[in-house]
Amino acid sequence: MNLHFADYLVILIYFVFVVAVGVIIKKKITSSNDFLNSNKSIPLWITSIAFISANLGAQEVLGMVASGAKYGIMTVHFYWVGAIFAMVFLGVFMMPFYYGSKARSVPEYLFLRFDEKTRALNALTFAAMTIFSSGISLYALAKLLEVILHWNFDLCIWIAAGIVMAYTLLGGLTSAVYNEVLQFFLIVLGLSPLVIVALQDAGGWDTIKTNLEPQLTHAWKYMGDADANPMGIHFMSLIFGLGFVMSFGYWCTDFLVVQRAMIAKNMSAAQRTPIIAAIPKMFMPLIVVLPGVIAIALTKSALDSGDYRIPTDATGGYDYTMTLPSLIAHYYPSGLLGVGITALIASFMSGMAGNVTAFNAVFTYDIYQAYFFKNKSDKHYLNVGKLVTLFGILFSIGTAYIAASFNNINDFLQLVFSFVNGPLFATFLLGMFWKRTTGHGAFWGLVAGTLAAAITHGLTIAEGKGGWISPIYPISSGMGQAFIVASFSWMANFFTTIAVSLVTKPKPDEELRGLVYSLTEKVYGTEKRWYLKPAPLGIILLVITILLNIIFF
Amino acid sequence: MSEKLNQLSFIIGVFFILVALVLLIGYLTTSSLKHGINLYTGMAMMIFGLVMIKLKA
Repeated sequence: MNLHFADYLVILIYFVFVVAVGVIIKKKITSSNDFLNSNKSIPLWITSIAFISANLGAQEVLGMVASGAKYGIMTVHFYWVGAIFAMVFLGVFMMPFYYGSKARSVPEYLFLRFDEKTRALNALTFAAMTIFSSGISLYALAKLLEVILHWNFDLCIWIAAGIVMAYTLLGGLTSAVYNEVLQFFLIVLGLSPLVIVALQDAGGWDTIKTNLEPQLTHAWKYMGDADANPMGIHFMSLIFGLGFVMSFGYWCTDFLVVQRAMIAKNMSAAQRTPIIAAIPKMFMPLIVVLPGVIAIALTKSALDSGDYRIPTDATGGYDYTMTLPSLIAHYYPSGLLGVGITALIASFMSGMAGNVTAFNAVFTYDIYQAYFFKNKSDKHYLNVGKLVTLFGILFSIGTAYIAASFNNINDFLQLVFSFVNGPLFATFLLGMFWKRTTGHGAFWGLVAGTLAAAITHGLTIAEGKGGWISPIYPISSGMGQAFIVASFSWMANFFTTIAVSLVTKPKPDEELRGLVYSLTEKVYGTEKRWYLKPAPLGIILLVITILLNIIFF
Repeated sequence: MSEKLNQLSFIIGVFFILVALVLLIGYLTTSSLKHGINLYTGMAMMIFGLVMIKLKA
C-alpha cells in the first residue's frame, strides 16, 4: 500500500487538529477536577458520543470486522444482545447511584458502598488493566502501520504516544473526550464509503444472502444447536454469558466508559448519556460488522465479482484481523486512502487516550490520594494528575514493547482482564440492589469470581487455548469459551458475596442512603417532556433492538 | 473567533471541510485522485462540515 501526498496531508491535518484541541482546552484547566473530571461540565451530545467512542478503539473496529468475516452476521450479538440492554440499564438504574453518590470514580463508589479493601482491589486491577490495554493499542497501531505501510515500528510507537500525550497532558479528560468525538465522526464518515462500494461490488445484500452459507447470514436461526453455528455456542450461553455477564460487566462497571457519563452536567444528562449513546451503537454493525460479512462473501468463489480476497496467514488460513486494512487497500484510491488510514489511526489513539485518562483519575483519586497523601492542595493533585498522565503514557510505551517481545502476551492479558472484569457486575448488582451486601462479601466475592474464571479456563479448551489444568471440556470457539468462563465467574462471585454477606455485619442504613436502591429517594427527573426521560427513551430503544433481532433472525 | 474555537462542533466542522477540500481539489487537479468515490465522499464531508459549523454549541 503506497500513500500519495494527499493521503499524508489528511493524516497531518488530523494530527494538527487533535493537538490543537488540547491547546484550546488547556486554558480552561485550572483545577484537578477540570483535568481529571472535566468539572462535570460537558454537554450531553458530547458525553454520549464520547461514551460510545471510548469503546470504539482498535480492538473494536478491527476485531468486529474480523469477527464479521469469521462468524458472519452473528457478530451483531455484541451490539444487539451485548450492549444496548446494558447501556439502557446503566442509564435508568445505575447512573443515579454513580452520579448521585458524588463519587469521582467507580472504585470510589465501591469505597462509599463497601470499604477500602474492595476499592483497593478494583482500583489496582483497573489501573493495571488500563495501562496494559493502552500499551496493546499502541503496539497494535505500530504493528499495523509497519505491516501495511512499511513504516518504522519504533517511530510509529513514539509519534502516536507523543501525540496522545500532547493532547491529554494539555487538556486532560476534556481534551480526550473532545477528540473522541472527532474520532467517532472520522471513523464513521471514513469507513462508510467502504461499506457502500464493497456492498455494491458484492451485488447487494440479497446476493450475499443467496451465496453465503445461511449460518453466516442469520443471527439466531442456528443457535439452538451449538454445533450448527460458526460461533459454536448455544443461545442460552450467549444470552447469559454475553448478554448478561460480559455485557453488563463491561458497560455498567468499567470506569473507562462510565466516566464519560459521570462528567455530564447534571443527573438527567448523566442518565441519558448511555441511552443516547445506544442509538449510534445500535447501528454500528453497519460500519464494523457488515464489511466483514461482505469480505467473506467476496472471498468465496461463488461471488466472484471482483478480485478481493481476505489475506491469508503463514498457515494458509484466513488472516481475519487484516480484513479491514485489506478492504481499505483494495477499494480506496489515493485521497480516501488517507482518510481510511487516519480513521484506523484515530481508533487506536482513541482507545489509548481513553485508557490513559481513566487511569490517571483512578490512580490520583483512588490510590495516591486515598493511600499516600490525603490532604494536599488542589494544585498538588492537579500536578500529580499531569505527572500520572505522563507516566501512564510512558508505561504504555513499555507495555507496547513487552507486547512486541512476546507472541502470546496480548491473548494472555485479554484473558486476565476477562477474569477480573467477568465477575464484577455481580458485586455492583448486589451492592446497589441488596442493602444486606457487606464489604467482606463484595471483596471475597470478587476474589472467588476471579479464581472461578481461572479454573473454568483451565478445565475447558477451545482453538488450542485453555485446558491448562485438564482439558476435560472442549468448546469449538474461543468466543464460546469466553462466555462460559464469564458465566461461571459471575455465579461464583454472586453466591460467594451472598454467603459471606449473610455471616458478616452490614453497614447501617444511614450510611447507605444514596448508594442502595431501597434506601434512595426515587428521582424521576426534572424533564417534563417524555422523550427526555431516561425510561421511555430506553424502552423505545429496547423495542427497536428486539425488532432488529427479529429482522435478522 | 476564540469563542467559536471553544465550540467542538466548530472544530469538527473545520476539520471535515479541510479534509473535504483535500479530496475535492485532489479530484479536480490530480489524475491519481480522479475517482468518483473521492468526489462523493468529499462532497458529503463538506456538507457535514458546514452543518457542524452552523450548529450552535
